[in-house]
Amino acid sequence: MAFLFALLILAFGVQAQEIGLVPESPENLGDWAKVVQAFRLYPTLSRSVRYEGPTLATQLWGDLALGQARYALLLGVTPQNVAELYVDLDRDNRITAGEKLSGTRISGGIAWTVSLRAEPSGGEPYDYPLQILWPEGRGYLFLVGGAPRAGEFRGRRIALVDGDLDGVFGTKGDFLAVDVDGDGKIYAEPDGHERFSLTESFTLDGESFKVQVFPDGRRMRILPAPYTPPKVPLIPGSPAPDFTFREFRSGENLSLASFRGKVVLLDFWATWCPPCMASLPGLLELYEEFHAQGFEILGVSLDESAEDLRRVIESYGIKWPIAFEGKRWDNSIANLWRVYQIPTAYLLDKEGVIRFRDLEGDSLRKAILELLSEPVVSEAPPPAADLPEVAFRPEPILELRVPEEVGVQEGKVATVFVRLLNTSPYLAEEVRFSFPDLPQGWKAEVPAPFNIPAFGEREVQIRIRPGSSLEKSFSASVRLSVDYHYCINDACFQMSQEEKLAFVLGASSAQSPSLPWWILALVAAGVLLSWLLFGRTLTVLSLVLVGLGVAALVFGIFWGQARQAQRIASVLCTSCVGIEEAKAPVAEIPQALLSEFQDFPKRAHLLVFYTPWCKSCPYAKDLVAQIARVNTRISYDFIDADEKRTEAETYGVIRSGRAVVPAIVVRETGKILFGTEDLARRILAALKEIP
Amino acid sequence: MKLRYLRRGTQGLGILLGLFGITGIGMTHLIFPGLHCYACPLSVTVCPIGLLQNLVIAGSVPFYFLGAIALYGLALGRGWCGWFCPFGTVNDLLAFRKARFVRALSPLKILVLVGTVVAAWRLLDTWFCKLCPAASLTASLPYFAMGLAQPTTPFWIHMGTLAGTILGMVLISRFWCRYLCPMGALLSLFNRASFFGLRIRREKCTECKLCSRECPMGIDPYLEGNSSNCIKCGECVAACPNKALSLAFGFPGGSGFAPLRLFGARSRARGVSAHK
Repeated sequence: MAFLFALLILAFGVQAQEIGLVPESPENLGDWAKVVQAFRLYPTLSRSVRYEGPTLATQLWGDLALGQARYALLLGVTPQNVAELYVDLDRDNRITAGEKLSGTRISGGIAWTVSLRAEPSGGEPYDYPLQILWPEGRGYLFLVGGAPRAGEFRGRRIALVDGDLDGVFGTKGDFLAVDVDGDGKIYAEPDGHERFSLTESFTLDGESFKVQVFPDGRRMRILPAPYTPPKVPLIPGSPAPDFTFREFRSGENLSLASFRGKVVLLDFWATWCPPCMASLPGLLELYEEFHAQGFEILGVSLDESAEDLRRVIESYGIKWPIAFEGKRWDNSIANLWRVYQIPTAYLLDKEGVIRFRDLEGDSLRKAILELLSEPVVSEAPPPAADLPEVAFRPEPILELRVPEEVGVQEGKVATVFVRLLNTSPYLAEEVRFSFPDLPQGWKAEVPAPFNIPAFGEREVQIRIRPGSSLEKSFSASVRLSVDYHYCINDACFQMSQEEKLAFVLGASSAQSPSLPWWILALVAAGVLLSWLLFGRTLTVLSLVLVGLGVAALVFGIFWGQARQAQRIASVLCTSCVGIEEAKAPVAEIPQALLSEFQDFPKRAHLLVFYTPWCKSCPYAKDLVAQIARVNTRISYDFIDADEKRTEAETYGVIRSGRAVVPAIVVRETGKILFGTEDLARRILAALKEIP
Repeated sequence: MKLRYLRRGTQGLGILLGLFGITGIGMTHLIFPGLHCYACPLSVTVCPIGLLQNLVIAGSVPFYFLGAIALYGLALGRGWCGWFCPFGTVNDLLAFRKARFVRALSPLKILVLVGTVVAAWRLLDTWFCKLCPAASLTASLPYFAMGLAQPTTPFWIHMGTLAGTILGMVLISRFWCRYLCPMGALLSLFNRASFFGLRIRREKCTECKLCSRECPMGIDPYLEGNSSNCIKCGECVAACPNKALSLAFGFPGGSGFAPLRLFGARSRARGVSAHK
């Protein structure tokens, strides 16, 4: 590493400038400087660490690496049911009572603050402040950190964040935030125009630069780079970046600028994205109502299949223009607008200026009305409003298993078996494989995109044809990238996971982790045979069957199926309980009932408890939102019962440790309504009970 | 009589394991060796039939599940139904009439099992769970009592299947276990090969049929012990005046572990005269 830096210094010594960076509080930078990452805990640790504190009823362990420093974390629950967090601060592989952190209770969990020492290789150790959150009852923690450091370059603030929380600056996931426009505020949210990955260049006053970061983040070398156009800001108040597109149905070439003079909702969506589809009826309604007054919707579809898109357009009767490229997330407009999750929607005023982002329901209607009433002026745009809070990206949901080594031979096809386990209750959609850095001349045949259902597993075969000239001591490490998306409730996320595949020159073409199907086939054959045999042969067969049963069980445990079984059983089986399930995401309330809601004279506040895995919740949420739309005296809050367990417990939505959702609580009376059957009528009855 | 007390004890253990969540332990990795809903608020084990459906939906090759079922089956066979399963215990408690076995309906439970798997495979949903009376009893009713489930259509379907099953249990002893239980169907596959079973000393048997009268499953134990419908409960053992029948662990196929039957066919075991 040092050698590399020396080389770089020699190469660019004349023009390079080195700046010092000092630790900065995330509060002075922005929410983006607080990196949140889920951190899994396990019943045991992969290395030996002794716990010498008071008795704990349950123990969950984690291993946190900050550079070369590794800290064992122990989350324990005492027999008195108090959660405690221990960190092996002195790293002596012994956790003592003195290493307990003092936590504070927060809504839905407990928070601890600790300052650890990161020891990046090739750099000086430094202090690493971390906040650790435990969502109560869960088998994981959230780490909040990033150890942001800030400095100044050409009079602009520049900050460096350890985005992957590994204690080493300069690794993948870390990012740079530069106050490019010099307004004193840095917009470095995931799609912010002042956020740069460490491989990107940034541009200040017409000059572009790239950075070389030292592992301890104390210094940064800034080098000139070929000119790169600056990223366009997408914050309210900035002009919307223009683009041209071919309209999906008419084939006509249009541009965003051609809609000047209209209030435009730029909507990034896809037919495979359920939250997008759930918002469609609302959009259709708004379009009907305001189109004549100068409101236009411009849909940018991230679909791949033109037929799917056409079918949806026809069945819903969508009239607004749609841009479609058939390239999913690689859509050029989505790239220009740095879209990283859908649905994403920007509301532009008649001047083509971004005014609002991601509005829904009533607030969207109000904003459209407000913008429609504005006269067309060509004066300066209104002052920029604050960006909405950007949620952190959720965790990857697939577990990848690849062979440790794959043997390749010249001209021969090698088969790589990859196993994927979906560890979540969500559907992993359009899983596809690619090799970003396959050696030149090599070819890979990857399977067509497929889905993996909740808790499901798949094994795929990837055929690799190596190049023709392999040296005797050939070995190569190649990245296998797995891309997919999944949807939780109101957002769909694109995920990309990587695993390294090691190729070596050798005869064994692949270490196939192929499943021992024969065990199950033999068990089945043995069971059938057992109905025909007598005497000692039956005895022998039974003993063989015991052996096969043990083999299947052990293999299943080794394969992670015991955990899979536990996960399946941990999600409340609504079929078993007889809870009304999966209604359409859009509620239809009879007109007579709607007018009764409209005339309801009192004030009421409804709390709608939902969870991401609940299929009926979108229906309940939509229903309550519709009710609140017709009567402004009725307000509501959507509460994730998984995240805010304490609140859910307080209102009686969680009992015996399981959340029953959707649940609607009338705050004034405390009355809880579960399920979705005849829900509108039951809500009305509950509202009438308010004194 | 002693055997029955022992059995009530192990059945009590089954209920205890089913409700072990009262200790505060959460869901474990263990598969329950009987029919007990994992949505039961106090459940700590995985329902085998619920798991089976989810595995089919998930497209997993169920090594862990089948390994566990094979080992359970080889250990006790349908002995689990007679000695452990809480829903079997409910059947026992309501067994007021030991009606003779309606043999033609016995393979229904195999159809239920196959239907459960096919429904999960084709419809991608846990259809058996929507109808399961064990779930009605241990999940729907507790959740309803806690005020968390509403009297909606799916809830009423659950209540309907529960009422129907209870009526069946009252009219025909072990009604559920005889005709409908998919878990019983799974375990019955291993009944002949299991290491626990009914042993008959042919020389002592007078074929008085007192055992048949006591059998809650309505079979003739002196002819069909350890057949797919024998739950090895031992009621026949207690009923035999000549102590010709006993329950024991031993090698399947070993001496005395007979008669051996293949579903409806008559016994072909040596030393057992099936015909008078």
